[in-house]
Amino acid sequence: MFGLIKTWKALEARGIMGINRRNADYVLKYNKRHLYPIVDDKIITKERALAAGIHVPEMYGVIETEKDIDKLDQIIGGRTDFVIKPAQGAGGDGILVIADRFEGRYRTVSGKIISHEEIEHQVSSILTGLYSLGGHRDRALIEYRVTPDPIFKSISYEGVPDIRIIVLMGYPVMAMLRLPTRQSGGKANLHQGAIGVGVDLATGVTLRGTWLNNIISKHPDTTNAVDGVQLPNWDGFMKLAAGCYELCGLGYIGVDMVLDQDRGPLILELNARPGLNIQIANDCGLTQRTHAIEAHIEALAKEGIQEDAAQRVKVTQSLFGHLPHA
Amino acid sequence: MRSLTLHLKILITVLVLLGVAITAYQIYVLEIPVSENETDDLWNIDAKVEFVASSKDPVKVQMFVPPLNRDYVSITESFISNNYGFSVNRADGNRKVTWSARRVSGDQTLYYRLVVTKRSSTEKATAKGPTFRDSLALDGPEKIAAEALMAPIRQHSADVETFVSETIKRVNNLNDDNVKLLLAGDTSPLNKAKVIDLLLSIAHVPMEKVHTVRLVADVPQTPELWLRSFNGKDWLYFNPDTGEQGLPSDRLLWWTGDDNLITVDGGRKVNVTFSLSSSEMNAIRLKRATDENTDADFLEYSLYGLPLQTQQTFMIMVMIPIGVLVILVLRNLIGLQTLGTFTPVLIALAFRETQLGFGIALFTVITALGLSLRSYLEHLKLQMLPRLSVVLTFVVILIAAISLFSHKLGLERGLSVALFPMVILTMTIERLSITWEERGGSHAMKVAIGTLFAASLAHLLMMVPELVYFVFTFPAVLLILVGFMLAMGRYRGYRLTELVRFKAFLKKADS
Repeated sequence: MFGLIKTWKALEARGIMGINRRNADYVLKYNKRHLYPIVDDKIITKERALAAGIHVPEMYGVIETEKDIDKLDQIIGGRTDFVIKPAQGAGGDGILVIADRFEGRYRTVSGKIISHEEIEHQVSSILTGLYSLGGHRDRALIEYRVTPDPIFKSISYEGVPDIRIIVLMGYPVMAMLRLPTRQSGGKANLHQGAIGVGVDLATGVTLRGTWLNNIISKHPDTTNAVDGVQLPNWDGFMKLAAGCYELCGLGYIGVDMVLDQDRGPLILELNARPGLNIQIANDCGLTQRTHAIEAHIEALAKEGIQEDAAQRVKVTQSLFGHLPHA
Repeated sequence: MRSLTLHLKILITVLVLLGVAITAYQIYVLEIPVSENETDDLWNIDAKVEFVASSKDPVKVQMFVPPLNRDYVSITESFISNNYGFSVNRADGNRKVTWSARRVSGDQTLYYRLVVTKRSSTEKATAKGPTFRDSLALDGPEKIAAEALMAPIRQHSADVETFVSETIKRVNNLNDDNVKLLLAGDTSPLNKAKVIDLLLSIAHVPMEKVHTVRLVADVPQTPELWLRSFNGKDWLYFNPDTGEQGLPSDRLLWWTGDDNLITVDGGRKVNVTFSLSSSEMNAIRLKRATDENTDADFLEYSLYGLPLQTQQTFMIMVMIPIGVLVILVLRNLIGLQTLGTFTPVLIALAFRETQLGFGIALFTVITALGLSLRSYLEHLKLQMLPRLSVVLTFVVILIAAISLFSHKLGLERGLSVALFPMVILTMTIERLSITWEERGGSHAMKVAIGTLFAASLAHLLMMVPELVYFVFTFPAVLLILVGFMLAMGRYRGYRLTELVRFKAFLKKADS
């Protein structure tokens, strides 16, 4: 009991945010319920992003009804690689990534060969709402398959590494690089076994990482060091993330982005309830940073100033950047 | 934000205060017992009247019955008398029943039955009584003896109370010549009382005979004589043998005055026997029973005012918030993972029918079998609705099979399965299998065990009879619960499991 109180105090002192605080002070306070569909439905997110001129992976087509499934061939066309996603999926579930074709069948990114019927069944499952948040009917989205920039080759097992930035009222407060592992099956979700690696907000240099709630500094599959890697085009990521506030209107979001080798930084999806393991990856609590941003916003509001995305990025980079490397 | 917090604080305060106030009002003002096990003694008093009727004359039996205006409340009172007419009337603070019949013959038996309990309230009705009376006429040696006795009594007493008790003590001193003379050889209590009355009348102190029945079970008894005198405020009771003041609490006042307990016209060989027995009664039921007599319908607007069948339902329903509270605490304070929010509560409700151990076994078996069916169906690539329907039907068949087998094996418990909510089971299977696929078997097991644990805990708490009684009797407690839930709604502290989850931060700090 005494040990627990000590742990509690220590975590509090480091400003570690718990689920209850995240929900009460940030998600409920800054995220208006009626805006949720924008982030929960990837198709709406994509449309909004396109309208705002923000880069997203190209959308090949949408399947809304069982009848539409017949159009799958037409949507895919002659493409050999593409991604099928539920529009309202959560946590990366239900996503099918086709990397290649193989004698009339398809090869997924993990090397599994599947038939066209299996793809159709997957689409059908998506439509019935198997992967959607509330279990209601959903749409399937077929889009461009991102080819990760070769920079990640050395520290990634397979799949597409992505970059998650937590954005509070348009100010990026914490960033992490998510690397798929053999255990995560090519997915970049931490609870499925992917690694989260903290990123210095100012420089885009990786820090140490987290894997299954532990602090690590090497990739478990490739044993290469995950820290000290310079992410290319970092300011581009930061501005992209900061701009998402205007895009969706939600005040506390996690922005998931990828670095495509041809098209540069792209927004994958937005999350209205971003996870908390990013704190372990950065070895830093969120609460102090969010408090600093809230104080900054309050000060600005008094003077009646509004900052644009580029200014906001500068502010957070000067506030939270240039951490001493571990 | 701050105003919202203040708003919430006020709301919580109001709700909690309201809940506490209503509950306190029920406990302290309405005096509803706090626990069901609180019982009161009930006294069952039978007075059996036997006599032989003379066939010629009409029969009229008059008997005193307790006036019940003091410390006791009657719950039921009955006059059992075959083909006798009866009426009850009050006179001089006494109550008298009159049985009458025109033509009866032979041995007659009449019953008077009274069920009483002690009045729980301590409020006292203001008593009224005489404080002065004229002396009884006396002459000759008796007058001299009485006056000789009076002198030391006056000396040794200060007020009515001490005067009466001194008088009683003197009269009980049988060696005293004056007493001997006044008693004239008859030392029966009745005669003693008469002498005491005589002496007190000389001092103008009023005195009344009181006939009481002792509340002792299974002891044959006749009414016991006590004396009482009014001191201007209260009646003071005296033991005519010892002069001790104060009526013991186990005495029930039957009647006052000089008259006999019973008078029978047209009958002889009258005999009255008392038999008493005590029993205990659930305090709330007792309260209701007494209220039927005292027409204070304070329970009219509580849940006890509902029909019995509906009461049963509400006894379950008022416990659901308690179950939900358990889930709330387990999820938001402890951080236990469960399937959905209210699934554990619904499972806990299902455990009511099956009992805990059997319920868990059943739940595990059905879910395990359902999961294996679900994983087989996965190969068939079915759509969601048809798949769910298949699983549901399978669950129904499974439950039917279990019921049949257990019935054949003579386990009646198995039949309770039928009420196990099938839809909940189906949804549990479906969600568990999705969790299994997405997060792996270990996570699914964790969630399943978490759900079962939460359900068991909620079930155990919802089944505590004292708690059920308390919440059902004092539903305002639910307002306090709402207050707590509201407070939980803005709880920002860590969950217990987060302390473990974020341990990595501390390890680093140590090294």
